[in-house]
Amino acid sequence: MSDVVMKASDLRREYHMGGELVRAVRGVTLEIARGDYVAIVGPSGCGKSTLLNLLGGIDRPTTGSVTIEGSRIDQLSDAAATRFRLHHIGFVFQRFYLMPALTAIENIELPMAEAKIPRDKRVRRGRELLAYVGLEARYGHRPAQLSGGEQQRVAIARALANKPQLLLADEPTGELDAKTGTEMIELLAQVNRDGTTIVVVTHDEDLAGAAHRVVHMRDGVVVDDRRQR
Amino acid sequence: MLAALLIAAFSQSIDSTPPPRPPRTVAIDERLAADAGIHVGDRLLLTPTPGGDVGSAGSGDSVIVSALVRRRADPSEVARAEYRVRMHLDELQALIGYGDRVDRFAVSARGTAGTDSALRRINDAAFGFRAYRSRDIAVETSRTFLVVSRFHRAIGVITIVASAIFLLCIMLLKVDERRRDVAALRLMGISARSIVRSVMVEAALVAVVGSAVGVGLGWLSSQIINWHYRGVYRTPLAFAVVTPGIVLLAVSLSLALGLIAGFVAAQRLVHMSPLELLSGRREERSPAAAATAG
Ligand SMILES: Nc1ncnc2c1ncn2[C@@H]1O[C@H](COP(=O)(O)OP(=O)(O)OP(=O)(O)O)[C@@H](O)[C@H]1O
Ligand SMILES: [Mg+2]
Repeated sequence: MSDVVMKASDLRREYHMGGELVRAVRGVTLEIARGDYVAIVGPSGCGKSTLLNLLGGIDRPTTGSVTIEGSRIDQLSDAAATRFRLHHIGFVFQRFYLMPALTAIENIELPMAEAKIPRDKRVRRGRELLAYVGLEARYGHRPAQLSGGEQQRVAIARALANKPQLLLADEPTGELDAKTGTEMIELLAQVNRDGTTIVVVTHDEDLAGAAHRVVHMRDGVVVDDRRQR
Repeated sequence: MLAALLIAAFSQSIDSTPPPRPPRTVAIDERLAADAGIHVGDRLLLTPTPGGDVGSAGSGDSVIVSALVRRRADPSEVARAEYRVRMHLDELQALIGYGDRVDRFAVSARGTAGTDSALRRINDAAFGFRAYRSRDIAVETSRTFLVVSRFHRAIGVITIVASAIFLLCIMLLKVDERRRDVAALRLMGISARSIVRSVMVEAALVAVVGSAVGVGLGWLSSQIINWHYRGVYRTPLAFAVVTPGIVLLAVSLSLALGLIAGFVAAQRLVHMSPLELLSGRREERSPAAAATAG
């Protein structure tokens, strides 16, 4: 196995808005090593989320390529890209996006059910993951009964359900107060120590400070890329 | 008053004139018995005209009520309000002084083979009249009701289709409400197929539960309708029935339409990219987009 888990080459993403061309990402080349913890930072509108979506196979680049574990995910069909995400990439968003009708453990079981993992295994792994994020007692609670920080923990447990190599997070502390934000930073560091490669987009300096490598963007390009530990 | 008498011709009354006779018997309409307070065993005076006198020769007869006749569940008789009296044919003829004439009479036979041969022999010998099987007459007289019941079925089907359209609107609203959830599911790697399937299952459940409730309500209202009109028309006739066939038609039709509604509603979700679902803005696709490399 190569120790590069993801490689992006000369990525560009352009949008057409009312006849005008918006160049959200204008030529980003990036290699991410297995086990790394990368923060992407920069001013609002500089293309961080767009880049993360391209890296995760949620969006397709106008030009350029994204290779994850040897697969050109920018060339996959929608269905194949969805399937690829299910097994290889976990996503965490600012707004959690838990299913309101499902309990915490059912939310975590969802991606495993899609991956056709038998029910008893799903429940076992769901409980393990809840314990891992410190919420074992809350497995039967619905999102509305959980605080923001607890919901984000469930979302992280869900993202890890199918043991992805990569965890991509877009402003995971954006909706949390300082204290729960700090807990979230610790949890992500723990997830990284346990072997998952993490790429996080953030405005949060503490969160960026916990990463091993910080990529600065401005106007759709990388202006600084440095390793801090 | 006796214009519409239905005459039951019992086999013995076709026989030749009887010897010294006991008091004759009649069978009267159950409703007449109830309305006039008549019981079995009561002695009645039959006269050809209302208030007629038994004294004047041949104008009246004293009879005993031997049976009460209950109306059959025949739709063609429902709206008939008049009372009926069944009497021996010779006696009726004597009473109304009408000689050797009847409008209709019924012959009953044991078994279908007997009916067939009786029918054939009567029609061979008949002059100026014809014998029909009662079943055929029943079919003939209930033709209107068949048309009415087909009409009802058409209304039922239209109702189900209309409610399926309603269900489609509900499902469209529901999926629109869940756009963000569905987008998140797609981002997580849940396939479009799974999403379509779960929306369809939900719509099918709504349809089946809805039609089960509908069948329950239909059954209840048929009970109420029957109870009401049986009272009004004093007949054992069932005015509304919920048959297994109707239930099957209703449930399977609404299930199929529910599945279609779910499928159509889900298409709206899976034909947009998850990012478009989340942001709510549809990307303007221009042919230049792919060609631009700058
Ligand atoms: N679907 C879209 N259609 C048109 N323009 C878009 C679309 N998505 C993003 N953009 C534009 O691309 C640019 C980069 O957006 P992006 O969301 O990547 O920024 P960001 O760095 O994540 O900002 P923030 O820190 O505020 O989240 C912005 O100018 C934005 O308006
Ligand atoms: Mg962003």
